[in-house]
Amino acid sequence: MSPLPPKKDYIGAMTPMPVKASCAISVRNLRVKYGEREILHGVNFDVPAGETMVILGGSGSGKSTLLRTLVGLERPSSGEIYIMGKEFANISEDERDELRKGIGMSFQSGALFGSMTVGENVALPLQEHTDLDPSTIEIMVRLKLDQVGLSGFENYMPAQLSGGMKKRAAIARALSMDPQVLFFDEPSAGLDPIIAAGIDELILKLKRAFKMSIVVVTHELASAFLIADRMIVLDKGVIVADATTDEMKNSTQPRVRQFLDRVPEPEVTGEIDYLQMLTGDIPPIRQ
Amino acid sequence: MDISTRKVGAATIVDVVGDITLYNSPQVRKVLLDLIKDKKTPRVIVNLERVKYIDSAGVASLVEGLKVSRDQKSSFALFGLSRTAREVLELTRLIKVFEVYNTEEEALAGGAKTDASPAR
Amino acid sequence: MAFTDSIGAATIDGLAYVGGLARLTGGAAKAVFISPFQGKRFHMSRAIHQAMAVGVEALPITSLISFFIGAILAVNAAYELRKFGALHLVASAVAVSMTRELGPLMTAVVVIGRSGSSFAAEIGTMKVNEEIDAMETMALEPISFLVAPKFLAMILMVPCLTAWADFMGVLGGGAFGLAAASFTWGSYIQATLEALIAHDILTGLLKAMFFGLVITAVGCQEGFSTGLGSEQVGRSTTSAVVKSIFAVVMVDLVSTTIFYLTAPR
Repeated sequence: MSPLPPKKDYIGAMTPMPVKASCAISVRNLRVKYGEREILHGVNFDVPAGETMVILGGSGSGKSTLLRTLVGLERPSSGEIYIMGKEFANISEDERDELRKGIGMSFQSGALFGSMTVGENVALPLQEHTDLDPSTIEIMVRLKLDQVGLSGFENYMPAQLSGGMKKRAAIARALSMDPQVLFFDEPSAGLDPIIAAGIDELILKLKRAFKMSIVVVTHELASAFLIADRMIVLDKGVIVADATTDEMKNSTQPRVRQFLDRVPEPEVTGEIDYLQMLTGDIPPIRQ
Repeated sequence: MDISTRKVGAATIVDVVGDITLYNSPQVRKVLLDLIKDKKTPRVIVNLERVKYIDSAGVASLVEGLKVSRDQKSSFALFGLSRTAREVLELTRLIKVFEVYNTEEEALAGGAKTDASPAR
Repeated sequence: MAFTDSIGAATIDGLAYVGGLARLTGGAAKAVFISPFQGKRFHMSRAIHQAMAVGVEALPITSLISFFIGAILAVNAAYELRKFGALHLVASAVAVSMTRELGPLMTAVVVIGRSGSSFAAEIGTMKVNEEIDAMETMALEPISFLVAPKFLAMILMVPCLTAWADFMGVLGGGAFGLAAASFTWGSYIQATLEALIAHDILTGLLKAMFFGLVITAVGCQEGFSTGLGSEQVGRSTTSAVVKSIFAVVMVDLVSTTIFYLTAPR
């Protein structure tokens, strides 16, 4: 709702935003460190329930770290994450696993279990976490595969699938527990444009049909503008913009325009920093 | 979720109250299979009027009920779908597979009119 | 100063590594022996599948190697014993060294080569493909899902393989005894049974169980510590083999010493 400029500075979060119960995800003052290097410097945002939030950012912006933290693969050094109103970042592994049953994650590479068939991959969370009868699980697996357009592939091994099919199968697996929140890491990276468009269609359909709240990390602008309700732009571990898709299109903020118009980054390193970087006095960035 | 059954003529109506989810759908499945397979009920009608939400495990349980009833040559129908339940069935392209009615009366009458289910 | 620093650092690294092994083993033991009673699932079918791969499929190669090791032992024993005209002692020399030491050790080497390395490769590949991350986001605990079945299979199957290796080693020694030391099968088996005491066999099997435990822990630990990129899987596999051999020898040294000190005289 709010136009872009007033929300310009989140660093330090002078006025903490209240956590809204209607939000699928609320992130407050999130800081993440790898060793000594801080990757996210106090990030705040909300994902309203039933909407798709796209996290944009160049490489090294911290967007992957943000996603990994949201699904609990990295522990933040400080700050809070609320998923469906429940604190997620500062709880025990067992409590976290309970909450994780309500989320689904589709990895960039698919991350299907290579030793299992596609059907077994989709069935696994159901077998592990529910008391459903095997015949019910079989029907559910076929339903999920049908939803992603992979009917009849349940007995294929992941290695036999093409890149786009692998991603679809991974989405089916992420859907198996009927999650309320779905996360995507670079859903269209490395796919040809037609298949990538198919994945975008699928994401739109999931939101529409299942009222899922969806978080997508991507650097594909066309895809982002197609699927997003809201977007945030992350730059060097700081949110530089948080707005609806339309607001973002018309944004005049220089950092946002620079990202959206694909302007090459101007060289901002100071002389001293540059010298230290060349002489190796600044440790290289750890990926 | 609560589940109860009542006989109306030759048919048995299964009243479900509450959400059908991953964790309680085995109950629904058990009741349905018991009625169709073991008690050989000629017509089983599931009342979904008071089911606000049904997830894919619930849908899969209904599909199992339908399959078993077809194997037994008995009939299986649903009525009183909420908007979200209807959407879920539409999305999974199952709305045309099931015999779906708006009200209990229609569901009972529908069974008398045609013995074979309309969506075959 | 730099020298003492590096010794200190190496010690800390070493202790941290052992701590990691203990954490894995503890987690796996909990998943196998405690969690099933707390309502969590343990998949026996996965453990059985592992037991087949670790134990049954290793039988041919273990048989062959221990048979030849038995024969080699007999030749080496005979080389010394014939100086004293005591060739009849070959049977007991083979029996005791096979059951106490070489049966467990050679089995461990075979298991390291076949299974320890494959644990590292399997888990390492899963790590590289984000499968371990995927598992965690699906609320599946990698230790109970991946490590626990291997752990159970190994602590059961390595002793079983070792018992078989002991037997094959005795047969190998017997083959030499028959050919070169005027034994018959009957007299060779008789001499073997007289030389063996239960303590030797049992300590050998107990050792084998410990070997199974450390091979699992090291193999899985190396898998989990695989870095980014598929070439890292190869590195993990190699390092699992080298570190497992070292760890097995260390466990052997410690347990043999303990058995010696606690043995009935």
